[in-house]
Amino acid sequence: MTSTAPYWGTGPMASHQMQSTGAFTSVATRRNFGQNHVSATPPPSTLPAAQQASNPSAAAAKAKRDWPESVRLYVQRAFASENNIPGINREELETKLKQVISDSAESNTLLTVDWANKPLPQHMISDERHQTIYFNQNPPWGNGVAPLNIHDTNTRSTDSPSKKRKSSDLESSQNGHQKVPPWHLANNRVVFEDRITHPDKRQRTDFGGKSSSKSHQAKNKKRFEDGLAGYVSPKQPFTPSQRSTPPHEMDQGPVIGRCQDLEKKYFRLTSAPNPDTVRPLPVLERTLDLLKRKWKKENNYSYLCDQFKSLRQDLTVQHIKTEFTVDVYEIHARIALERGDLGEYNQCQTQLRALHSQHLGGHPEEFKAYRILYFIHTCNRTDMNNALADLTPEEKKVPAIKHALETRSALALGNHHRFAQLYLSTPNMGAYLMDMFVGRERLAALSNMCLSYKPAIKLRFFTEELGFESDDESARFICDHGGQAFLEDREGEVMILTSKAGRFFEATRQAAFQKVDIKGQI
Amino acid sequence: MEVLFRDFQTACHEGSGPLLAATISPIAPPNYLNRLDAIYKDSNVASISRDVAFGLTKSAHAAIQYPNPQIDTWTEIYSAYWYAIGGIIAAAQSTSKPDWLRVYMAWKDLANTIIKHYSSGVLEAWTLPVLYMAGKHLRIFAIKADEAAAANGGDDTFNTGDIREDIAGDFDKNQKLEDAARVINRMFTLCISDRAPLEESRKWGLYYTANLQFKTYFKLNSPSLCKNVIRALGAGRTDMPDLDAFPRSHVVTWKYYVGVLRFLEEDYAGAEESLTSAWHMCHRSATRNIKLILTYLIPTCLLTRQLLPSPRLLAPYPRLAELFTPLVDAIRSGALSTFDAALADGEAEFVKRRIYLTLERGRDMCLRNLLRKVYLAAGMDEEGKRRTRIRVDEFGAAIRLGERGVEGENLENDEVECMVANMIYKNLIKGYISRAHGMVVLSKNGAFPGTGI
Repeated sequence: MTSTAPYWGTGPMASHQMQSTGAFTSVATRRNFGQNHVSATPPPSTLPAAQQASNPSAAAAKAKRDWPESVRLYVQRAFASENNIPGINREELETKLKQVISDSAESNTLLTVDWANKPLPQHMISDERHQTIYFNQNPPWGNGVAPLNIHDTNTRSTDSPSKKRKSSDLESSQNGHQKVPPWHLANNRVVFEDRITHPDKRQRTDFGGKSSSKSHQAKNKKRFEDGLAGYVSPKQPFTPSQRSTPPHEMDQGPVIGRCQDLEKKYFRLTSAPNPDTVRPLPVLERTLDLLKRKWKKENNYSYLCDQFKSLRQDLTVQHIKTEFTVDVYEIHARIALERGDLGEYNQCQTQLRALHSQHLGGHPEEFKAYRILYFIHTCNRTDMNNALADLTPEEKKVPAIKHALETRSALALGNHHRFAQLYLSTPNMGAYLMDMFVGRERLAALSNMCLSYKPAIKLRFFTEELGFESDDESARFICDHGGQAFLEDREGEVMILTSKAGRFFEATRQAAFQKVDIKGQI
Repeated sequence: MEVLFRDFQTACHEGSGPLLAATISPIAPPNYLNRLDAIYKDSNVASISRDVAFGLTKSAHAAIQYPNPQIDTWTEIYSAYWYAIGGIIAAAQSTSKPDWLRVYMAWKDLANTIIKHYSSGVLEAWTLPVLYMAGKHLRIFAIKADEAAAANGGDDTFNTGDIREDIAGDFDKNQKLEDAARVINRMFTLCISDRAPLEESRKWGLYYTANLQFKTYFKLNSPSLCKNVIRALGAGRTDMPDLDAFPRSHVVTWKYYVGVLRFLEEDYAGAEESLTSAWHMCHRSATRNIKLILTYLIPTCLLTRQLLPSPRLLAPYPRLAELFTPLVDAIRSGALSTFDAALADGEAEFVKRRIYLTLERGRDMCLRNLLRKVYLAAGMDEEGKRRTRIRVDEFGAAIRLGERGVEGENLENDEVECMVANMIYKNLIKGYISRAHGMVVLSKNGAFPGTGI
C-alpha cells in the first residue's frame, strides 16, 4: 500500500486507498459525526486486525519520509484505543499529531525528541482545555493585555489553521456536516479560540523547534512579557478590547509604555492613554539627553516646550515619580524661566513643590528662592505668607533664599537702592524672574524720586541708583513712560527735571501695580 | 435615657432653643458628668430607634400632644446622636489611638439628619441652636479626625486619581475638614434660602453659620473662600435683618473675621473699621477674643494711624505684651537695630498669624522717629527757629549709629537719600532732597506730620 502523502494529510484518500488495496477490506468506520476523519482507530470491538492494518498503512505512508522508529511508535500509541480520551475525537487527535510531528520535522528534532515519553496528542489537547478553563477564570495577566496580543496572534497564526479549527471542530462535529461553518473559517476571532491561543503558545514553546508562526509568537510573547515586567501596580492596565471593558478606564493604574520614539508631540489627553504612544522610562531618559543637546544647539523654545510637555505627560501617566522626574521638571522650569514663559514655569513650580517635599533630590532651595521671587512678582500675599512660614532657619541662610528674602524686604520698604544692588547680584536664574518686576519697581522708584528730589537729578545718578546698564537705557526707560519732556540737557549733563515731573509718573506706577501679567498662565 | 427625654420635654415646653440644643451636646454638662454614658448604656444598636420613639411618645403624653412628624424627626436625630455618643465614649476611653474618624462620621450623620429635617420644614426656626450645636462640633471632630489620620502616618500622596494632569497638591491633609466645610455650607444655604416671615425664619442663623464657615476656611488656610460668604451676605439684601439686630456674639465674631480678611488683603482702612467695632462690642471678660482682635488691630493702626499701643492697653494681655512691647519700644525710640532684632525674634509668631509683613512696615515709623530726633538735635539756626536744612550726612550718621554689623558700614549716602526719599513719598516727612547740595530741606511747618513738629 503506498501513498504519496503522509497518512494524516489525506483522510478520505487514505481510507480510499486502503480500501482499494490489500487483501482485506478495512472499512473506515465512522464513530462520530465529524468530517474528514482519517483511517481512524476502529472501535475496540473491531478486530485488532483492522487496527494493525491502519498501522502498517500509517507506517507505510510515513515510510516515504523515513520516520524514525520512535516516531512511529509514538503515533501508534496516539491511536491506541486505550489511550483514547472521550471528548477528543479522532479529527482533533490527528490534527494535533500532525502538528506535533511536522513541527519537530521542520526543526529537525525528530531524532532528539523523546517520543517515548512525550505526552500523547490527546493528552495535550485535554491539558490545553483544562488550562484554557483555568486561564479564563483567573487570567494572571489580567484581561487587559491578553486580547491585545491575541489580536496580533490571530492575524499571524493563519498559517496554523489546525489550531483555529479546534472549537469549530468541536462544534461542527456535532453538526454531522463535512463543511466547517463559514463563519468559523473566515473569522479568526472567535472568543473561545482566542483564549486557547495563549496556552497553546506556551505549550508550543515546550516542543522546541521552530516554525514560521512560532517566531511570530515568540516575538509576541516577548513583548507581552516585557509589558508584564514593567507592570507596577496590581490594577488592570488600560485595554482597548471591547471584550473586557472596565467601566472606570481612567482610574486604572499606571500605563506601561511601549513607544520607542524619542520625540513626540504634545497632545492633551482626552481619554485614557494608549500604551503604544507612551514612552517607557529608558526611552524617556534618552529623550531628555537629546532635548538637552538640542537646547544647547538650537534654542528653539516652542519645539522644546512641546517636547518637554509630552515628556512630563508620559511620566505622569506612568506614575513615575523619581529623581528623574524632578530633574525633568527642573530643567523645564529653568528653560521656561529663561524664555520668560511664566505660565509654563508656574506649572513646573507647583509640581516641583510637591516633588521636593518627597525628598527626591534636585535643588529644592534654588526653587524655593524662585518661588519667593515669583510671589513678589504676582503680589500674592497669601502664598507669600505661606512660603515664608514654611522656611526653616537653615534654609534662610542659603544664599539664594537669603537673596530672595532681602529682595522682598527691600521692596516692601521701598529701598530701591538696595533693590538695585540685589538685582545686579542675583544668584542662579533668579534674574529672569526679577526681570519680570524690575520695570514696575523702577517706575515706583522714579515716581518716588520725582517727588522727593528737587529741583532735578542727574540722569547718571538715576542710572546708577536703579541699576541700569547705561544712560541710554535709563533714558529710554523714562521716555517709554512718557517722560521725555522732563529730560533736559544742562551744561553737558542730562538732567531729569523732577520738580516739573511731580506726580506725573504716579498714575502709571499705580497702574503697573494693579495689573500683574502672568503671561498665559492657565 | 430618661434624662434625654426629660430635657427634651422641658425644652419643648419652654420653647427654648438653647435647652433643646443642649440635649444633643457631645459634652457632658457639669452637673451631670455621666450623662453620655447613661444615655448610651440604656439601649443598643438593634433597638435604638424603637427606644427613642417610645421614650419620646411617652414623654409627650405628659405634656403637649406632639404631631407625629415631630416624633419621627426627633427619633432619627436622637438615634444618630446615640451612635455619635457611642463613638465619643469609645474615643474617650481608648488609651492608644482614639478613633476620631468614627466619631466624625457619626456626627456628620447627625448633622445631615438635622439638615434634612430643616429643609423638609419639620423643624421650626426656634430650634436653630440645635443646628449651631451640630455645626460647631462637626468642625471640631473633623479637625480631630484629620489630626488622628495625620498622626497615623497619612502619606503625602499625589493626586493619583487623575492621570491626565500632573498637578500636585496636598489634598489629603484636611480631607475631613473639607468635608465638614461642605456640610456647613449646606447649613448656611439652609438659612439663607428660607422664605418664611422673619419671626419664624431661619435667617437668624445666618451669621452663626457664616462664622462657622469662616473658621473652617481659615483653618484650611484658604481665606479666599470666605469671599463668597461675604458676598452672599453683602449689602443690598433687603430681606435680611440688620447686622445690629443679630445676637451680639454673632456680630462680634463676624466683624472680627471680616476685619482679618480685609487685613490680609491689605485693605487697612476697612480692617481698622471692622476690628475697632468688634473690639468695642466685645464683652469685657472675653479675654481670648479681645486678644485675637488686638493681634490684628495693633498692626493695622500702626499703619493707618501710626498709633502705638500704650503699655496700659497691653497690660491685661501678657502674651500680647510679650510680642509687641519690644517692637513698640524700638519704634518709639527710633532704634533701628533693636527693631530689627525684635522683629526677628518674634518672627515665627508673627508669620503664623500673618502679621509679619505688616509689622515690617513699622520700620518706616522707626526710621522716621530716628530722623525726627536728628532734626530735633540739629539745634536752632540764626533766627531761633529750627534748622530745616539738614545734611544727608547727619542722617546717615544717625542711621549708622543704629545699624549694627555689615549693613551699617556699607551704608552709602545714596542709600540714606533713598530712605529719606521714601519717607517723603509716604508723607512721613515733608520736604525735599537737594542732591546738588547734599541736603535735605524740611518743611518749615510740620516737617514730621503727625508728631506735632
